[in-house]
Amino acid sequence: MSEYLLETSGLGLDYGAFSAVGEVNLKIQKGTIHTVIGPNGAGKTSLFHCLTGERKPSRGKIHFNNENITYLGAHKRVSKGMARSFQVTSLFQELSVLENLRIAAQGRDGLKSLKFWVSENKNHHNLEKAHEVLNKIQLNDVSDRLAGELSHGQQRVLEVGMALCGSPALLLLDEPTSGMGVDDIPIMTGLISELGKEHTVMLIEHNMRLVMSISDRITVMHQGNILVEGSPDEIKGDEMVKKAYLGESGHE
Amino acid sequence: MNSKTSIFRGITLIALVLIVLMPFILPSVTLATEILIFALAALACNLLLGYTGLLSFGQGIFFGGGAYSASLVMIHFNFGLISALLISILVGAALAFIVGSLSIRRTGIYFVMLTLAFTQMAYFLAYTFSDWTGGDNGLLDVPRPALNILGITVSDLKSSESFYAFVAIVFFVVFVFARRVIHSPFGTTLVAIRENENRSSAVGFSTNHFKLVAFVISGSITGLAGALYAMLLNFAPLSNIDLVMSENILIMTIIGGTSSLLGSLLGAGAIVLLGDVLSSIWPRWMMILGVALIAVVLFLPGGLWGGVTSLFNKLISNKKNKEESSTEVSK
Repeated sequence: MSEYLLETSGLGLDYGAFSAVGEVNLKIQKGTIHTVIGPNGAGKTSLFHCLTGERKPSRGKIHFNNENITYLGAHKRVSKGMARSFQVTSLFQELSVLENLRIAAQGRDGLKSLKFWVSENKNHHNLEKAHEVLNKIQLNDVSDRLAGELSHGQQRVLEVGMALCGSPALLLLDEPTSGMGVDDIPIMTGLISELGKEHTVMLIEHNMRLVMSISDRITVMHQGNILVEGSPDEIKGDEMVKKAYLGESGHE
Repeated sequence: MNSKTSIFRGITLIALVLIVLMPFILPSVTLATEILIFALAALACNLLLGYTGLLSFGQGIFFGGGAYSASLVMIHFNFGLISALLISILVGAALAFIVGSLSIRRTGIYFVMLTLAFTQMAYFLAYTFSDWTGGDNGLLDVPRPALNILGITVSDLKSSESFYAFVAIVFFVVFVFARRVIHSPFGTTLVAIRENENRSSAVGFSTNHFKLVAFVISGSITGLAGALYAMLLNFAPLSNIDLVMSENILIMTIIGGTSSLLGSLLGAGAIVLLGDVLSSIWPRWMMILGVALIAVVLFLPGGLWGGVTSLFNKLISNKKNKEESSTEVSK
């Protein structure tokens, strides 16, 4: 039916009298890397929270795969085919890298993981998935280290890897390069564009070089609403965007 | 499968050796029985505190509930040993389901306060319904039925040695069961929830279901421990369901160490033994317990078991170093 994997109509979120997200109609096409940018306070993160199910929207609807998921709980969206990463790294710090990924893969089983009478070793498919992702994000060398012992850059990569373990149709990434050093950013850029070949990716990002190089579509938000949407080249040349956004952060 | 995740090797073997040796090392068999019973309760508490990260003050409800229910069905309905214990497991599970399903709706301090409130309520319920519970006097003349399996009397369990053997077998079975739980998909998810509940939910776990099942498992084991305690004493005192009981179980769990099931056995052993030895010398011995708890929390974050393992690791690495230096000399 629809070529769009995710579609919001009139989506809004209020915090008391303040409207963080006004009325957003966002359409994310299958197989694309779709980036949402905008100055601080534009409502990107609030929009993201509505998509992941962390917050219940005040109005509007969210359709995923033509199914209304507006009020579906965060954990239930995983089985529908959505997975997310966090802006502030959120790992199982005291567990090994491999175990982090294995548990993330186990999340797909949902309530089947309540089985307390079988050995964890019986669930080969989750361990296989973890190894597959480990290869993809190239953290094989540190698979036995505790997640909390990794460098910040590696933790950011693992953060994305954990979302990947859910074998999602749609990958939601919240500022994947947040706090990363300049040297690490190309690794993340490469990883995301690689993932874009197999998944539909929606991300929020501040790093303009990354955004412009890997995005298929860009949505610019401003004061809770969509200002403009287009290809990277269209966004680069747009006067309104320059005024609202690029003008602030200079000529990056 | 290595010894760390195998349910029959590794620390299960150590537990088995300790269970066999305890009646010979300790001053009395009854004391050893008491230690195993409280080790059951501490182990159940550890599933919540150590593996799920839930600090529950509700353990006394399940302990007291198990003691009362088993005693009542034995006194009024002539239930046998096994069926009375099964009742205590069911009652423990049911109580844990009620307390758990309401308490886990909140997290952190509010969760703790809810379990605390439930314990207070349960205590006054038991106090008020004195026709059933004996109130302040406790439930007297609790029988200890013989162990019948398929109509054959295996043992009358009258001697303290035979009752110890029975409790030891129950403990071992529960210990192996708990090992299975910890190394199951369910157990690894509990650890994930302890580490980061937000992320656990984000990767697809409905965390409340997992916490609730953890509660029910913990409650059923604690109920079983309560019933065994009533059979040991031939008496179900009101103090079983008191807040102090919840505290004691928590203290045993923490002092023993929350990182391992064996820690719960050590913790129960240390507290029961300390109480037995010190209470005859000095009536204010609980003060020392306070000092011990402070010392463990401040200086031994892994508890007694954590201390034992780190000491063991140090000895091994020292030995290795010595061997290395001696081989260097011989070169």
